[in-house]
Amino acid sequence: MRRGVLPSLAVLAVAVLASLAFGAGDVGPLRAVAVVLGGGDDDARFAVLELRVPRTLVAVAVGLALGLAGAVLQAAARNPLAEPGLLGVSAGASFAVVITIAAGASAASVGPAVAVLGAAAGCLLALGAARLRGTGDDPIRLVLAGAALSGLLSAGTSVVLLLDQRTADEVRFWTVGSVAGRDLGTLGEVGPVLAAGVVIAWLVARPLSALALGDSTARSLGHRPARARALGVAAVALLVGGSVAAAGPIAFVGLVVPFLARALVGPDLRRVLTVCLLLGPAVVLVADVASRLLVRPYEMPLGVITALIGAPVLVAVVRSSRMPAL
Amino acid sequence: MTATRPATAPATPPPGTWRVAAGGRSVLVDRRAALAATVLGVLVLLVVAVSLAIGTARLSVLDTLPAAFGTGETRDVLLVQKLRLPRVVAGVLVGGALGISGVLLQTLARNRLATPDTVGLNDGATAFAVASIVAVSTSLAPSALALVGAATAAALTLGLAGGAGQRGYRFLVVGLGVGAALGALTQLMLARAPIDAANQAFPWTVGSLNARAPLAIALLAAGLAVALPVAVVLGRQLRMLRLADAVVVGLGLRVARVRIAVIGVAVVTAGLAIAAAGPLGLVALIAPEMARKAAGPRSVAVVGSALAGALVVLLADLLGRTVAAPLELPVGIVTAVVGGPYLLWLLLTTRTRRIP
Repeated sequence: MRRGVLPSLAVLAVAVLASLAFGAGDVGPLRAVAVVLGGGDDDARFAVLELRVPRTLVAVAVGLALGLAGAVLQAAARNPLAEPGLLGVSAGASFAVVITIAAGASAASVGPAVAVLGAAAGCLLALGAARLRGTGDDPIRLVLAGAALSGLLSAGTSVVLLLDQRTADEVRFWTVGSVAGRDLGTLGEVGPVLAAGVVIAWLVARPLSALALGDSTARSLGHRPARARALGVAAVALLVGGSVAAAGPIAFVGLVVPFLARALVGPDLRRVLTVCLLLGPAVVLVADVASRLLVRPYEMPLGVITALIGAPVLVAVVRSSRMPAL
Repeated sequence: MTATRPATAPATPPPGTWRVAAGGRSVLVDRRAALAATVLGVLVLLVVAVSLAIGTARLSVLDTLPAAFGTGETRDVLLVQKLRLPRVVAGVLVGGALGISGVLLQTLARNRLATPDTVGLNDGATAFAVASIVAVSTSLAPSALALVGAATAAALTLGLAGGAGQRGYRFLVVGLGVGAALGALTQLMLARAPIDAANQAFPWTVGSLNARAPLAIALLAAGLAVALPVAVVLGRQLRMLRLADAVVVGLGLRVARVRIAVIGVAVVTAGLAIAAAGPLGLVALIAPEMARKAAGPRSVAVVGSALAGALVVLLADLLGRTVAAPLELPVGIVTAVVGGPYLLWLLLTTRTRRIP
């Protein structure tokens, strides 16, 4: 159980420190570290405590949710490529939010509930379509169907945005993933949703890992495959919906993190989930720090960096001739 | 020595084809394909006329085609020739180029999903075109660099996937990854660029006939003039490529050479089209499909596919201009919304995705 946990913990600690230390502004690492150690000047105190600490916490929450969601979705679909961003789950969540705002709600009043519902719809659409047509056994076709679905949903989002200027102003935030400028209020709103998702993911880990042996074996071990999958999808919807509500759609985290976790601790789903809890935040934090440093003094959307990290991983997974069976 | 040719009468052409002979050489023309191309051509002309007629000032559809050639009322001539014709011509050329690129790639990979979009060509061309605008502001650069970008993306995808194999789903996901990385690079450059350059580069990221540069259109026209005949010839050879590789080699076709030529033409047409109008999603998927439906399974409908591409782009542009007027939806978004369900349906319906 220890294997993989300690290194992940160390990586996470370094990432948190880096996230507090580096910024797009001119409060450099030395001044920031002084604040962390309890001293520092006023400017640095403000930048670190008021701006970087909330942002880091949001990034940790989002990373945790996305990493976990990826691992659970991959186990439920028995497909190492099933990633919430690739399958249209995130696109479903942001489409739902955009539609709600276009229908008249104000951005502030749209809670995570709408995003969760949209995520659930996207999830069920992609998985349901794949199961219905029997493409479940072919990991690659599931991904293609998901890509087509997210392409369609984001085109729909663009149409709504073009037609409705007010919506465009209010929702720009929902269409590109970023954790910049989020405060602790955001976290308070989505926190319960994410917590519920984490709990369900944990409860469903055992049955889901039994599914890897095939449905009939899982059944003879006393699990109910259909219920396990349904709960898994619910957990994914809660986690992804919550994270989209907090930070917008961020692709590829759900692919990269479980991939790393499996490489570290092997296929056991509960171990993978444990490591995902640590590596997810680490990956998002690293990407976020990169997004602050690459185009100083501006910032990049976080989703761009995760795509740059994630796309090579996707290619590597597809290329590996023996795709890890789940 | 008299150059004697066997005095036998030329063999009767196989059913459903015409034999067209000139200068001692002859080719077989598929009747249904020729008919389909004619019908599609007439449809394109019709839609061109309608596109020229519709706008803030409406013209009569019958007046538009004469006005395009300079006869009719002065106001109409001015309106059509100066304002609307360039856009329509751009639409026809871009659609045609995408149609050719799509039909060649699909037939080569024997997979209806293999299009410039899915292989990452679009994202590659976009990334490099944006790079050229953000870095060097000359008007030649976008077209040239879009070509380089399309070629790079094709090389990356096909190289990483180990060639466009018979079981061609793997290379599609590789293309997805390559496209995602290149798309992220585009975003990165747009974020780094000064705001003016970023605004100038923005059309490249949505796909629209609004921001067409005259030079890019001219280059596209020139490229198409070369690529279309080459593609027609290649299409006839691709027809043989449907057989097993061993049989094809036995029939005297140099498979590797044809493959490279096909990929080359597909890259050139897609790259030039994207340099002119930005990435128009899914045109290269839908157009060959329409052409195949119309022309039947026997031939590789290169000309039909080009015409169908023009038709799709013109119709999408028309729809984008009228459906939410006075607001204008970019063509790229219209094609994505209309083509998306079709792509999903294609992925989920039949188990085999072979091209007949």
